[in-house]
Amino acid sequence: MIPLKYNIRNLRVRWVTTLMTVLGTALVVWASVLTFGLVDGLNHALTSTGDPHDVIVLRKGANDEMSSNIEAKTARDIANLPGIARDAENQSMCSNEFVTILTKPRRNNGGTTNLIVRGLNAVGRKLRPDFRIVEGRDVEPGVNEAITSRSMANRFENLGLGESLEINKLQFKIVGIFEAGGSAAESEVWTDLNDLTTSQRIPNAVSVVNFRSANDASMEKLIAQVRDDEQFKLKPVSEPEYFEAQMSASIAIKFVGFVIAGFLTIGAMFAAANTMYAAVASRSREIGTLRALGFQRRSVLTSFMLESLLICLLGGAIGCLATLPFNGLSTGTANWATFSEITFSFRFGPSVLLRGMALALVMGLLGGIFPAIRAVRLRIIDSLRQR
Amino acid sequence: MKLFKYIWRNVTRNKLRSSLTILSVAFSLALTTVLYGYLAMQDSWGKEAIKRNRIVVMNKQGFSGSLPIAYIDRIRATEGVHNAVPYAWFGGNYQEQQMPFAQFGTDPKNVFDVWNEVVIAPDELAQWQSDRQGCVADRRLAEKRKWKIGDRIPLQGTFYPVTLDLKLVGLFEASTYTDSLWFNWTYLDEELKRIAPEASGNSGTIFARCKSTEAIPSVVDAIDVKFANSDNPTRTQTEAAFAQMFSDMLGNIKSYIRNIALAVIFSLTLVAGTAMAMSMRERTTEVAVLKAIGFSKSRILAMVLGESTMISMFGGFLGIAAGAMCLNALHGVSAQFFPLSFVDLIGPWIAALVAVGIGIGFVSGLVPAIQASRISVVDGLRRVI
Repeated sequence: MIPLKYNIRNLRVRWVTTLMTVLGTALVVWASVLTFGLVDGLNHALTSTGDPHDVIVLRKGANDEMSSNIEAKTARDIANLPGIARDAENQSMCSNEFVTILTKPRRNNGGTTNLIVRGLNAVGRKLRPDFRIVEGRDVEPGVNEAITSRSMANRFENLGLGESLEINKLQFKIVGIFEAGGSAAESEVWTDLNDLTTSQRIPNAVSVVNFRSANDASMEKLIAQVRDDEQFKLKPVSEPEYFEAQMSASIAIKFVGFVIAGFLTIGAMFAAANTMYAAVASRSREIGTLRALGFQRRSVLTSFMLESLLICLLGGAIGCLATLPFNGLSTGTANWATFSEITFSFRFGPSVLLRGMALALVMGLLGGIFPAIRAVRLRIIDSLRQR
Repeated sequence: MKLFKYIWRNVTRNKLRSSLTILSVAFSLALTTVLYGYLAMQDSWGKEAIKRNRIVVMNKQGFSGSLPIAYIDRIRATEGVHNAVPYAWFGGNYQEQQMPFAQFGTDPKNVFDVWNEVVIAPDELAQWQSDRQGCVADRRLAEKRKWKIGDRIPLQGTFYPVTLDLKLVGLFEASTYTDSLWFNWTYLDEELKRIAPEASGNSGTIFARCKSTEAIPSVVDAIDVKFANSDNPTRTQTEAAFAQMFSDMLGNIKSYIRNIALAVIFSLTLVAGTAMAMSMRERTTEVAVLKAIGFSKSRILAMVLGESTMISMFGGFLGIAAGAMCLNALHGVSAQFFPLSFVDLIGPWIAALVAVGIGIGFVSGLVPAIQASRISVVDGLRRVI
């Protein structure tokens, strides 16, 4: 076995080439990990839900909440169905909600886009994961107030605490900032159900009914009951299932992410191969000497592979580290399923970073293998004779 | 010419290294091509729309608000407006697929007057105008879906609680791919009156064509002022601005893509530069010989720069070609996210990419070239690698 020190010293001697290759690898890993982190953040926003027993009831034929509407009487009937969970005050955990989208400008000339405004009552808050007000206070019904998340307040004009959002000629004052476990709710503006429907001049309108079932058995029963009721004409879907259907936006970005990572990795592989070929070419006499000293072909192969891995893993580590300043950075794009803005944060969890290091590993292995094979194929006599 | 031959010989001397560099440049530029192609796709509608004198009227609240159908006549009566039609996004499901293509309810009598650059055969248009359940589609959409004239196209409504049973009666040809199907707005409205009367009478958005480009600003203002105090105030903008709105929706993804592309280009320059530096280091003695027999500094500079530029230029062309093929493949897979094929996207950005390819070569060759031109003859000849 040729000691690792040999490789490290070699890298140090050719430090410019090493540095350049390491930097090239680092940039590629950085770009890939950044993309993975983006996709992971988007996935997280679309998959964190309150409870696996939560069910969203839409009108039959509607794909999403914005295109759904439910009669007020039907909504009342649903709330009274047996099997729906009760909260501490013995209230049915069933929330009538009205959802609409408004076209509004982003801050800093970021263009206009659609934002989701949801009208709901107190019970709806209990159905969201870890809902809590972090600044200001919650809305009071009847006086046109609204709350939103920190990221939305930063992204949109008129959504900051104390500012006012115009909804159909009425001013809704932003009185609070809320958090909801990083879920899709954090991409919305919330207001009182009645205030919103009144402003839209369709009083008592309901878009969707959200409820939490008491347990697995009652959830199955409730879904079947609501779905099969000829009078209702409704489509109940479990919350995870609903967001699954919205993933199309994230699928496109995910796909783009893999394309970026794939192309870049292959490109970087060639670069690593180039560096290693040059290393082999300029060290053929050394290789001959090593072999003449009695080092086996296997050791020489391992040694060169290790050197290539060393370069790429070093680059990978730097690339991964360089993504950390972006961790938790809030960003947003269109959710094409709803045509509205979805905000989320970059997330660089262990799995994302591991994927980045795996890319570096692949670059090192595939980039190093052919040069290493060339190194062991050298005939001792020839390589010793070379100048 | 001699210089060129010398450069060419040097490029092909270490075939393995040159090909590896070319391939790494190619792969990364292919990616950049795909990314920029995607961005160009987002802006193509707006660029096209600037040529037309069309404006779009929507409810001030956005897409969720409605525009009464009576607005059409009032907009037509506005000074400077040539014609106007309803343009209602239906967003229906087709064969279990969610919104696989765009569907709009419009007015068969006037729509080809508003989109006057879109062509349809007169007999097909006449057929559409007489058949309430008829619809017309972009020729390329029909080809992709293998529709023939006379085919039934059922569309299941999502936010309109109705199912439309349409019959394809004609195909239209637009200057760029629209991925759209047009049906009669009246058919939709009659179904709504039957099933959900409260949702009827809504034209969705209104597209109008102005008499001249100069008239547009005053028309835009006049329309918004006209409806400002009604129950449904409007937001009127040029079609280009309307298109820009959709492009803007992508939000930070746009700048993200640009930054990734920048990182890619930077890392390429490092990679190509390293390869070139390696080549030059191996040729130190050779360069010294050249200098000894009288080659000037600038000549050597030009030789090295020429070599690095040529290598990455090859990579650039290869990469752009590969990227173009990828874009076409993506367009084939999902016309929803990649609405245009490469041919529709050709524009200055491709020339810019070619320039980037050449630029990478030039910049990456700079350091090795300067080093080579500075080699002192004595040191170089003495040096043993």
